[in-house]
Amino acid sequence: MTFGYTAVVVAVIILIAALVFNRTDEILKSKVSSMTSALNVQMKMNMDSYLDRLESIGTLVFSSKEVYEYSASDDPDDSYDAISTEDDISDELYSLCIMENFVDFCMVYSNNHTVGKISNGTNELFGSKIYEDFSAMINRAGTNDGWSAGYNNNFKRIYYVKRVNDNAILVTSFYTSELEDVFKHPGGIEDISVRLVDSNNNIIYSSLDNETGSLLENDISDRIQGQSSATIMDDDYLITVNLCGDDWKVICSVPTEIILKEKNEVQFYIILVAVALSVVAFLINILVSNKISNPVSDMVELLAKKATMDQLTQLLNKKSYEEIVSDTLHNAHTSDKYCMILFDIDNFKGLNDNFGHAAGDKVLAEVGNVMRKQFKASAYLGRLGGDEFSAFFELPKRLADDKEYVKARCAKLCEALRTTYNSGDKSYNVSVSAGASLFPENAGDFQELYTRADSALYISKRNGKDSFRLFGEESEGGKNET
Amino acid sequence: MKHKKSVIMLLATAAALMFSSCAGSSAPVTTFTTPVEITLSWWGNDARHEYMLEAVDRFEDMHPEISVKCRYTEWSGYQTRSDVLMRSGTESDVMLINYAWIEQYSPDGDGYYDLNQLSDVIDLTNFSEYELSYGMKKGKLNAIPIAMNTQTVYINKTLYQQYGVDIPKTWDDFFEAAKAMKGEVYPIAMAAKPMFFFVTAYAEQVCGKKFMEQDGTVNFTAEDFEIMLEFYCRLINENVMPQVEYFDRNEINSGKYAGTLAWLSDGSSYFGKAAQNGYEYVVADYPVTDSAQCGDGWYAKPATMYAMSRNTSHPEEAAMLLDYLLNSEEIAQLQGVEKGIPLSKAGRQYLSDNNMLSGIQYEAYEKMNEFDELSVLSPYFENDDLVEEFRYCCNTVLYEKNTVESQAEYLYSVFSKVKKN
Repeated sequence: MTFGYTAVVVAVIILIAALVFNRTDEILKSKVSSMTSALNVQMKMNMDSYLDRLESIGTLVFSSKEVYEYSASDDPDDSYDAISTEDDISDELYSLCIMENFVDFCMVYSNNHTVGKISNGTNELFGSKIYEDFSAMINRAGTNDGWSAGYNNNFKRIYYVKRVNDNAILVTSFYTSELEDVFKHPGGIEDISVRLVDSNNNIIYSSLDNETGSLLENDISDRIQGQSSATIMDDDYLITVNLCGDDWKVICSVPTEIILKEKNEVQFYIILVAVALSVVAFLINILVSNKISNPVSDMVELLAKKATMDQLTQLLNKKSYEEIVSDTLHNAHTSDKYCMILFDIDNFKGLNDNFGHAAGDKVLAEVGNVMRKQFKASAYLGRLGGDEFSAFFELPKRLADDKEYVKARCAKLCEALRTTYNSGDKSYNVSVSAGASLFPENAGDFQELYTRADSALYISKRNGKDSFRLFGEESEGGKNET
Repeated sequence: MKHKKSVIMLLATAAALMFSSCAGSSAPVTTFTTPVEITLSWWGNDARHEYMLEAVDRFEDMHPEISVKCRYTEWSGYQTRSDVLMRSGTESDVMLINYAWIEQYSPDGDGYYDLNQLSDVIDLTNFSEYELSYGMKKGKLNAIPIAMNTQTVYINKTLYQQYGVDIPKTWDDFFEAAKAMKGEVYPIAMAAKPMFFFVTAYAEQVCGKKFMEQDGTVNFTAEDFEIMLEFYCRLINENVMPQVEYFDRNEINSGKYAGTLAWLSDGSSYFGKAAQNGYEYVVADYPVTDSAQCGDGWYAKPATMYAMSRNTSHPEEAAMLLDYLLNSEEIAQLQGVEKGIPLSKAGRQYLSDNNMLSGIQYEAYEKMNEFDELSVLSPYFENDDLVEEFRYCCNTVLYEKNTVESQAEYLYSVFSKVKKN
């Protein structure tokens, strides 16, 4: 019953926990997915805006005729004029780019001559192919411009190139590390990686250390293949991708296990609560079961006690006494020796008549107390009816004389029960008469043993009461035995 | 009865806990701290940017309560941009500055933060009083020097030996070398500013007087400027060096230039790759005329300096960053001798303990220290606008657009106004 109830409660708790698990899973995945998508869109907009701004500054070279019309030559008509013009162009270019973190902002001419802000890094990287290779970066026909990263596998700078005239191109660049500000995010999602990749999946920028310049790992590139704007989530990754610029992609990714780590923490608490609830349910169950079952068992115990015990004296009733003694005798070994003492209160009727049945009951109850004190746990004690009592006990093994031992016990019992009952100004002397029989000397079973003891009791009564007799010695008569 | 009360109490507590979380009786408040953001600006090459960014990362790791926003670029354009930022009061909290800028932006000592007020954060005991005096203006510590710097003659010994020419010791040796190299290789090359130092050193030795006093007073006359202009034209015409407009740093390691005049602090970045091309570079003596002593006409100055904005909203955090950039083991390890041999005792000690004081840049440092009397450069001397004026006049004379006399007069009038302006 207890187990069944607990099992049902625990099953319900597990069911609820499972439902909460699933719901948590769905909500968490959905939440992280939408957050990552929003983040990615924001990154893409940041990137587009950043590139647009730099392009706009680049187009300002068309605001100066001197800048967009000039073509450098290895053999100018007037070298001094050429130098002066280039000085002016250089000043113009510097003034255009002054407030942005451009690394390069210069004109590159078909003779590989440069004017304006050109970094040593770019000079070193392109060398004598500076015009040729920058020209090759122009990939948008309409606007005659283009973006490029990873020239000669160098990803430190990102270049924007725009053709200005047949012999001149504008070259601008910024450090890739500038993109940290573009891709800065508040960090709401733990361990999210942000990358910018080109059309060949070369990583132009990564929020992870030492990844820039390498190829996007297959685990991610396979999942985003053919996608221009999407969110992908499976057992391994949550990935969002967005196209920016012409053919670059902003990719945000986070391993699913990182997301689930958060879920696992939630689940741990759910399990903790479920276990706690199960324990509480179990304890409540135990408490309630005890509350229900204790009175029943108390009642059963009481009834059982009532069936075997005499309620007034708390001694065995006749039936129980007979059963127990019979069983004991039945199972006795041949060397075992027992004694049964049977006694009743002398003139008990007179006590009842003079002092009432309550007084009689009081004396009977006191007899029970005295018997328990006299025999302790070594004997079976019973009230066999009215004022008739009996004690049955095993005789010690090595007695010199069994009968003398029994006589001494009988004498001690009679002495202990000899008392005066007082009530008001009246008193009544109480005494008992007893008879004893021995097993196996006098009898082989309960009935015989009882009959023999009763016979001895009869002799005691007949010889003047307040005395005892052993079966087989009744003829001696008198009160010599008390 | 007692048990019943306990159960009721338990249920009541549980219910109270459950409903307290969703009752919404008071708005939940979660406080958080936003890091203090400070800005740091510097100029330099890729290598410098990389180690500076790494240094800043480490600083942020050590001080998560501070976020550092970096503004960096190559030298070209940095000063013009800094000029705009300084004048508009939007300069970085901590910035790398040039020695000359103290005079330019802080003539009364109030242009930058007085770092003496932050001496409890910045460990100034790493610097001698003399070293700190470079950054003092009107009793206020405007900037702290990182290292000392001077123009240095770097010679490609391999190329010189190929042409059978000794390492030059005099001005004439350069002209002799140019003859031997027959226009195939320039004995020396340089950008505009080093060229200004080069021809000034020559002119000072010839004239026997200083070009300019510390306070900007120009000692040279128009005739002396003539010597400078003519010397530059001679250097170009006799193929000792290419025109400064055509100086290309990439040619240093290609074998087109057999020598370079450059800052001591540029030694590692300019010549670090020379060995890969089979070239051995050495630091040569400063060239002299027959009557001059080696070192005459040459100047030393603080290589670069760190200063703080007078407008900073976070002086303590900025000072922490400044101290870190000057005195920490982290910066000593990452920076090495890239900005020159550090003046900071702590930084120098770290480099010495870790055997990092070596290479061509250290050779240049030792060469500089050979000359106790190497004059301290006047801040007015290095004014970019004046250098540009000089270059302009050089070309005017070189291309015979005007006479050397008129251009010398013009330069004299321009330079004489520097102190007044």
